[in-house]
Amino acid sequence: MESINLNHLFPTKTSNFTKDEIFDVAVVGAGVVGCAIFKEFCEQGAKTVLVEKANDILDGASKGNSAILHTGFDAPPDTLEHKCVQRGYEEYMKIKDDYNLPFLNTKALVVAWNDEQLGKLDAILQKGLGNGVKELDLLTHEQIIKREPNLSLDAKGAILVHGESLIDPWSAPLAYVKKGINCGGKIAFSHEVKDGHYNGKYWELQTSQKPINAKVIINAAGLYGDIVDKIKGTQDFKIIPRKGQFVIFDETAYNLINSIILPVPTKRTKGVVITKTAFGNILVGPTAEDQESRTDSQTVKETLEDLKNKAFHMLPALKNHKVTATFAGLRPASDEAYYRVSINDEKNWITAGGIRSTGLTSSLGLAKHIFELHDTRYEKSPKADEKVTVPNISEFAPRDNQKEGYGKIVCHCECVTEREIKNACHGELGAGNVGGLKRRTRAMMGRCQGFNCEAAVTQICKNEVKNHE
Amino acid sequence: MNNIQIAIIGAGPAGLSAALELKKLGYDDLLVFDREDEAGGTPRHCGHLGFGMFEFKRVLSGPDYAKKLAKLAIDSGVNIKLKSTLTKVENGVLTFSTPEGIKQYKPTCTLFALGARETPRPDRLVSGTRSPNIITTGTLQRFAYLQKIKPFNKAVIIGSEIVSFSAIMSAKHAGIKIEAIIEEKDEIDSFCVIKYMVKYLLKIPVLTNTKLKNINGEDKKVTSVSVSTDEGEREIPCDGVIFTGQFIPESSIMQKSFDDFNFSNNSLYISQNFQAKDDGFFVAGNALRGALAAFKCYFEGKKVAKNIHDFIRFKHQPELIKIEADENISWYYPSMIDLKSPTKQHLTALRLKKRAKGAIKVLLNGRMIYKKNIHAFPFMSINIPWKDIELKPQDVIKLEFVNN
Repeated sequence: MESINLNHLFPTKTSNFTKDEIFDVAVVGAGVVGCAIFKEFCEQGAKTVLVEKANDILDGASKGNSAILHTGFDAPPDTLEHKCVQRGYEEYMKIKDDYNLPFLNTKALVVAWNDEQLGKLDAILQKGLGNGVKELDLLTHEQIIKREPNLSLDAKGAILVHGESLIDPWSAPLAYVKKGINCGGKIAFSHEVKDGHYNGKYWELQTSQKPINAKVIINAAGLYGDIVDKIKGTQDFKIIPRKGQFVIFDETAYNLINSIILPVPTKRTKGVVITKTAFGNILVGPTAEDQESRTDSQTVKETLEDLKNKAFHMLPALKNHKVTATFAGLRPASDEAYYRVSINDEKNWITAGGIRSTGLTSSLGLAKHIFELHDTRYEKSPKADEKVTVPNISEFAPRDNQKEGYGKIVCHCECVTEREIKNACHGELGAGNVGGLKRRTRAMMGRCQGFNCEAAVTQICKNEVKNHE
Repeated sequence: MNNIQIAIIGAGPAGLSAALELKKLGYDDLLVFDREDEAGGTPRHCGHLGFGMFEFKRVLSGPDYAKKLAKLAIDSGVNIKLKSTLTKVENGVLTFSTPEGIKQYKPTCTLFALGARETPRPDRLVSGTRSPNIITTGTLQRFAYLQKIKPFNKAVIIGSEIVSFSAIMSAKHAGIKIEAIIEEKDEIDSFCVIKYMVKYLLKIPVLTNTKLKNINGEDKKVTSVSVSTDEGEREIPCDGVIFTGQFIPESSIMQKSFDDFNFSNNSLYISQNFQAKDDGFFVAGNALRGALAAFKCYFEGKKVAKNIHDFIRFKHQPELIKIEADENISWYYPSMIDLKSPTKQHLTALRLKKRAKGAIKVLLNGRMIYKKNIHAFPFMSINIPWKDIELKPQDVIKLEFVNN
């Protein structure tokens, strides 16, 4: 019997540049923000390297979120966050078709469950209008029930936010990186930035592998943003990881709601979001728990039960459906409730820190903003307008199992094909670990959690990795 | 679109035995579909002995039993379509994903023999880290017997239903050391002879009255589990966790496609003829309820074949009343009574979720018509007789369990 652990199956990725190379820009961190910045700079023609300590993209904060494309109706007004969320939304809409990225405009309801919350709806509406989000409607109890017949009759009133939509939180950043590479960008996976020295001309970053030289550093290190920022000499903020636990319900529950159900924010309680996902489930969460640890993403039974009960109160029919997955994500919140974006011209260092839960939406806008801050002209990449596509794994468009010749379906719950799993194991942007494999294919993420397919997936990956050694 | 007479979904013991029987009855326009790339169902990866005694009068291992059953079916001319995943049931049309593309069939009669699976970690809401090394018995069996892979070195087993014994045997086969069996209840969830075998023959600690508090570890790795007893909390080092039992039907496709779903059984409402409310749909085997032994599914397959035969011959239109059950009952069968069926209903079988002493009651339109005092274990089936009870179309029947 051969010992094979899925955790250790994927080999450490190698980089295709030498230690003497001097890049224009090094982006530290391959979360969604780093991936979007990498894309922008590569397209603009800067010689860019993406430096990541894990063996895959999206290995930190970006792996777990509620996958909503926000309009910014409730963003803090006139902040960078507000600006980047709206710009990011626009950018996503411009590129999504070129990249084969999914988008479903479900709209959202901010639901008031009691009179106190009902009293707050008008202020939320005004804030939204002030934020430039025009498509907002106040709904009565009757209008809510008509739109959402399964919702609890306790819903008193709501704001309908037309623009709120669902996207695939994993394929989008993958597409950004792919575009960057296509424009000539390089990636250094499994390179943890340890220290750095600015020699007046360029930075010499010490990493866990070979050193990396670049004229400008962009710190998008997410949960480690403050630690990486110390390298420039001063530390302007502190990351306070905020854990968010989620409960995912089986696909059988998918049609219980039409819109994203958002809470009315109050000072005392953090509300719970109920939304469909691009993968055909219902997601409930997140919690907001500040903690010291940057790595502890354990779930807690009592918290999960509480989330379930809150969801059952809002959507009683959910009780009849099974939980498919539970997980926790960590948001890189900082000691202030705004984005910590700054530029140090003397040291050629740009910080994109404290990008909280809105990062998925804002990243493309933030990337544009940072390129403007950088204020340097390059010769635009000749491939900047070339199309780059990623495979669709969402339920909003035909998937691989609808196209013949896929071998067989390996993961039955999520209908993942042998061809998809094999393809995900290969190439510069192939899966670097088991989480990466799941994010590229959805394998083992369904209701049986690998009962049927984990052994077969392990075997396929082993063979693929071996064949390409 | 292909019109066919009979479609059987699932090539396990129930599906294949139904197909064999229907073939004997002269049905040739029949297709069996399975999503896997070989026929035989769950026994394919149950490496231990104990299969086939009643069906074939021989003691076989699971894989040998699966092979024998599949060979019998193929030799009798049963057409099995492998690698065919049922993705949609709408207006009587079945849609499959296959490597040759999307295929659609419109059968006169469809049998769901979808099987069951264990409840994995998420639906149990367990605290701790996530890891691919947190698996179920079924996953372990597939690692050990189908792929010949040892996924980790030492593990704890959660739950003590009879299937946990299979988890031990599969672990042994793969060379995995079992550190302990952890059971929340005050005694094991299967016949106590198993407990002594595990404890004294296999020398594995059986920790009853013990709760799993947390799966410790980081970065997709398991390092230990924390368990708590009356005496306090302790840690058991391990790199794998095996959740066992709590079988539920593999029924999402039915739940998605039919309006009337029985949430107590996690299956469709089914009459004594294994017939659903929707015209021409039948359910049999473990898709009706949690896991029963393969031979029971095999014999149920034979029975449902006769019912399908009757349905096709006589165009039988049922008159159905539903039976509901309270939350103490883990499953019951049948969940409807067909008043017009030539087979008069004679009993309802049920199981409890927990070991309990008390009374099973049958309420007809709110009035108790039957009571039975029981002391039952969750792995024991309890039978309720129906003879001599006259039922009318508007009747409401409920099963209740009341603790003493």
